[in-house]
Amino acid sequence: MTQPVTIIMVEDDEGHARLIERNIRRSGVNNEIVSFENGTDAIKHLFGADGSGLSQKGNALLILLDLNLPDMSGIDILKQIKENKYLKASPVVVLTTTDDSQEIKRCYELGCNVYITKPVNYENFANAIRQLGLFFSVIQVPPAAT
Amino acid sequence: MTAEAQRRRAFWQVLLFAAGLLVLTAISAGSVYLVNKARGDSEWVVHTIEVENQINSLLLELRRAESGARGYLLTQGPDFRSDHDKAVAAIVPALDKLTRQIGDNPAQREGIEKLSAAIETRLGQFAREMEFVRQGEVDKATALVREAAAGNTTTTISNLANAMIREEERLFRLRSENADRSQTLAASLTGIGSGLVVVLALISIWLVRRSAQARDDAENRLRDAYANLEAVVDERTADLREANNEIQRFAYIVSHDLRSPLVNIMGFTSEIEELGGDIFRRVSSLTHVPADGPPLASGEVALEGADQQLSADFSEALGFIKSSIAKMDRLISAILNLTREGRREFQPEKIDVREFVEAIVSTLAHQAAEAQAEIHVEPLPDIISDRLALEQIFSNLIDNAIKYLKNGVPGEIRIRGRTKLGYAIFEVSDNGRGIDARDHQRIFDLFRRAGTQDKPGQGIGLAHVRALVRRLGGTMSVSSELNAGSTFTITLPIAWNASTRNTDR
Repeated sequence: MTQPVTIIMVEDDEGHARLIERNIRRSGVNNEIVSFENGTDAIKHLFGADGSGLSQKGNALLILLDLNLPDMSGIDILKQIKENKYLKASPVVVLTTTDDSQEIKRCYELGCNVYITKPVNYENFANAIRQLGLFFSVIQVPPAAT
Repeated sequence: MTAEAQRRRAFWQVLLFAAGLLVLTAISAGSVYLVNKARGDSEWVVHTIEVENQINSLLLELRRAESGARGYLLTQGPDFRSDHDKAVAAIVPALDKLTRQIGDNPAQREGIEKLSAAIETRLGQFAREMEFVRQGEVDKATALVREAAAGNTTTTISNLANAMIREEERLFRLRSENADRSQTLAASLTGIGSGLVVVLALISIWLVRRSAQARDDAENRLRDAYANLEAVVDERTADLREANNEIQRFAYIVSHDLRSPLVNIMGFTSEIEELGGDIFRRVSSLTHVPADGPPLASGEVALEGADQQLSADFSEALGFIKSSIAKMDRLISAILNLTREGRREFQPEKIDVREFVEAIVSTLAHQAAEAQAEIHVEPLPDIISDRLALEQIFSNLIDNAIKYLKNGVPGEIRIRGRTKLGYAIFEVSDNGRGIDARDHQRIFDLFRRAGTQDKPGQGIGLAHVRALVRRLGGTMSVSSELNAGSTFTITLPIAWNASTRNTDR
């Protein structure tokens, strides 16, 4: 059976979080969005109290990840997600202010699915997010292997 | 050691040298004088002996004359007579010689006068004796001899001569002493002088040794200082490197973190813009409640009077905010790019610069054609350097040359190169609008531009190029006059050594 996709947003900047959410909603995506303002809470939610990620088994997730978090680097979270057998199938969208090619390359190497630079040019940003929303609404995230 | 001490030592050395010279001169002069004096004294001694000798020989001749006379008196033999005559003949010259010899001594002169008188008397007696004997009056002659004996002439002569001899002996002793003293003096003078010279030499040697010691010390200190200097330079270089890295990190973090709030500002400005649109549409729909006509199509804004003014002001304010944000974003991006360039590792490789520059020129061919510019690439030296950095350097410079040509004048851009002392010198010159001399420094500053601001740009290109050239171990300069074209000169090491500059990391 299909399951609605839950969007996990890890973003320390409230304003950015709000903008992202608005644009996702504006593009017609009504999936549940769970927000975290720091890496620790996000890790706790994703991997559960025991850190195994078992609690998310079978849940369809889409993770929006900021790389500059106050308590840890988003890259570490990305790495952990992609190393976890329950979570590695979940698509990860990296959202960050830097367009450093080294960083982009590293994220893709670690298994990030989409890398979006938060541009100051708001129109492009809004478009990117909307397209992402469309992308969410069209794709069916396959249930994680049991 | 202080300069004062050095001067003092030099002064002492000169003084010592002068003293040595003086002593030597004094010794020489003294020796010459004393040796001369000694020789004089010796001559006097010899003279005394000669005088003594002469007196003795005079007495001898006198006795010979006397014994000749006596023999003749007794035997009347002609041998005795000739003997006597010879002796008498010798007496007068001998006496004359003696008189000459002792002419300098008044005491002796007195003696010689008496002696001469006595001898004359005696010679007179001799003559008379001989005369008597020759005439055969031996008795008379004998009586005369007796008389002479009684008159004691011979004894008087002997006494006088003896007195003179004693006087000469006294003079001999005196003069010998004088000569001895002169010689002793000369010897002492020489001895003392030599001693002094030796002492001076010893002092000199001591001074020279002290100088040598001081010089060795100074040399050692210099060596130490030099070694220290190396260490200090290394230390400072490390500090500078650290400071540079710090600035890079700082610039990176600042620009990165500045961007984050800017995203919000821009995002919510756009939200406000949309909200504003919504509000004014609402206002429009409320003020245009058509009593009779059909309602306005949604999305269409029709405002009047004060409302329209409000809407225009609102849009204008938002427009300024948005353009400022865009500008700020460009500046932050520029800083980010610069710091990113500063962090990039260079990969030196051999580059055929002419081919490389021609490739860049071909990518700019379209712009050049638009600006009616001709680009000439002359033969350029090959270098070992970072390809990407070099590409940015040349494309920026050529791009600038095309960009800032004089309006309406066909452009001519020339890229020249030569080598000098391990460096390759490249020149990019144009016949464009040129740069005022007072802006020559300014154009290399970040975000600063010069001249008419009729072309788009951020004022980053040359700052970036210069940073790259410096990182490649080179230098960059401009020579230009307003309206007379510009020449940018880049000096790069022919073989860039990664180890020298990658340590800047």
